[in-house]
Amino acid sequence: MAAYLTAFAEIFEPLNFLMMIVCVVVGGILGAIPGLSGGLGITLILPLTFALDTNLSFIMLVAMYVGGVSGSFIAAVLLGIPGSAASIGTCYDGYPMTKKGKAGKALSIGIFGSLIGNLGGGIVAIACTKYIADLALLLGPWEYFSLCLMAITMVIGLSNGSIYKGLLAAFFGFFLSTIGADMVTNQLRFTFGNTNLYGGINVVVLLMGTFAVQQVATSYAKGQTDMPPVDAEGLSGFGLKAKDFTDNMQTIVVSLLIGLFIGFLPGMGSGISNLIAYGQAKNMSKHPELFGTGYDPGIWATEVSNNAGVGGALIPMISLGIPGDATTVLLLSGMTIHGLQAGPMFIKTNPDMAALILLTLLISAIAIALIELGTKKWFPLLLKTPFHYLFGAILVISFMGAFSSTTSMFSVYLVLGFGVLGIMMDYFKMPATPLMLSFILGSKIESYFRMGVSYAKGDYTSFITRPISLIFLVIAIGSVVVPPVMKALKNKKAAKAAQ
Amino acid sequence: MNKLNRTYVMGIVFLLLSAFVVWQTGMVPERLVSNEPGPRFFPYMSAAGMTVFAILSMIFDGPKDKGNQYLDKAGWKRLILILVEGLLFCVMMQYIGFWFAAMIGIVMFVLTLKGDKKVNMVTVIVLAVVLGSVCYFGFTRGFHIPLPSGSLWKALGIKML
Repeated sequence: MAAYLTAFAEIFEPLNFLMMIVCVVVGGILGAIPGLSGGLGITLILPLTFALDTNLSFIMLVAMYVGGVSGSFIAAVLLGIPGSAASIGTCYDGYPMTKKGKAGKALSIGIFGSLIGNLGGGIVAIACTKYIADLALLLGPWEYFSLCLMAITMVIGLSNGSIYKGLLAAFFGFFLSTIGADMVTNQLRFTFGNTNLYGGINVVVLLMGTFAVQQVATSYAKGQTDMPPVDAEGLSGFGLKAKDFTDNMQTIVVSLLIGLFIGFLPGMGSGISNLIAYGQAKNMSKHPELFGTGYDPGIWATEVSNNAGVGGALIPMISLGIPGDATTVLLLSGMTIHGLQAGPMFIKTNPDMAALILLTLLISAIAIALIELGTKKWFPLLLKTPFHYLFGAILVISFMGAFSSTTSMFSVYLVLGFGVLGIMMDYFKMPATPLMLSFILGSKIESYFRMGVSYAKGDYTSFITRPISLIFLVIAIGSVVVPPVMKALKNKKAAKAAQ
Repeated sequence: MNKLNRTYVMGIVFLLLSAFVVWQTGMVPERLVSNEPGPRFFPYMSAAGMTVFAILSMIFDGPKDKGNQYLDKAGWKRLILILVEGLLFCVMMQYIGFWFAAMIGIVMFVLTLKGDKKVNMVTVIVLAVVLGSVCYFGFTRGFHIPLPSGSLWKALGIKML
């Protein structure tokens, strides 16, 4: 407790507090711009922290992290283009809600969803860091493989159209993830002698192509010349009523737990948790058919879970020294710069620093929520920008984002190629989400599978003989088999009733 | 394009892709590290999955596909136009650098995306110059993230900002 009081006093030192606000705002802006992220902000300020006080450095780094994840919903809601992989799921209901003229409500759900996710994740991280980290150590490559597989099949269950097209998209995503050097033997696969492909395809490049370029090109081709109208309702004040929270309480709680769980698994992160939470919310819902049409629980699920992932990702970082996601890798680098050794002894040897990191998470979350609430009425000004100006600028920024992620012109051409792929998928009515998720998880699935087989000395049955792995696999199979069976039974029942 | 069954087209495209993946995977040298499936295993699995679900989709989704129109003729023309402009922008970015390409690109995209609407050319040019410059100098000077400076200028020996 004393450590938290000390940390509280430290955060509210005038300079520290000011820098926390600056970083949380900059992180929010970077997160809101498609192709950029809070991770970029951390990369940029990391060298600065060499010269700064350790406490101030971590206040700035954590604030940037929180701001980046929290701000990513803004572009997803207003433009249907995710600010980062953390808000892919937010596009599915956020943008349709904006198209209905309810941008204010969608933004409010995004703000409060982010706040609840961050606070919930932070509080659990404070209370249970030690115990949850112990649990993570029980899982091996077999369980991680099965869990990743389960994540994908659960998301395929949320595909509005055909489950076969969802699975086809997922296997195509797997294939894309195999491009580049094989991680075990370093053999090159599908690179065709092109050195730009040796490292594989960058996720930002795929995102910019299949979302941004596809969105602009198909909107223009379909004759859209205006942005959606904006209803003034919900743009000032909280924008939500108590009923909005109580009606969605189950979705909020489940998504919080999913975000935390996925967040604390090494190598996973908000980019994955938001899609799993969205799939779960749809599976639990009494009205799954409303998902994708601008339905509140769709936004609650993704925004609560991706922000809960921040607290979740800090748990293994602090207690095991294992990064929960790509951004916590950068935070770990920051710790190394300042001579701190994350791991099982960290909480005992540096209780003040552990408390400072976790408390900064909570206070930054409240700060960004208040700032977003205060400035929310100006966000939809973006939608008042004429279609041709806004989408013209988005195209240029998307290509720039792809280049800045890889510093390769090849990636810029690849964005265009993936734009064509996105258009083809739209034409074939194939869902893009399974493709994205299996692409993000593909290399992990392959790596865990090969590690699992190797550790078990070539025994492929180890995935089903380990109980936790088996449970994940059963859920994985059930999530693709049960929905069509239930649908067939329902249709049969309806046909019988009609006779 | 109007009566084309898109599911069948999709199935054929992915069957061809699967065959290509199998062919290319066979060319990956198989250097097995003890007791592990090797670098060919997952590409083969991907190809197998694509084949199975392309066929299943053709069988079960194909008959339901009514061959509805995706875009009219004018829509296809607009789609091709914006993609060609995208390609032109990429080429400009490579040869004349991001700064100039962004300024020209924004003008080009805005004039295309406006459709039948009237735009003030002064506003378009000011937007192009301001946004192009803010992005270029913000990234290269502010964030120290390099953006393409243009291979043409390099070849001509001209040093860009």
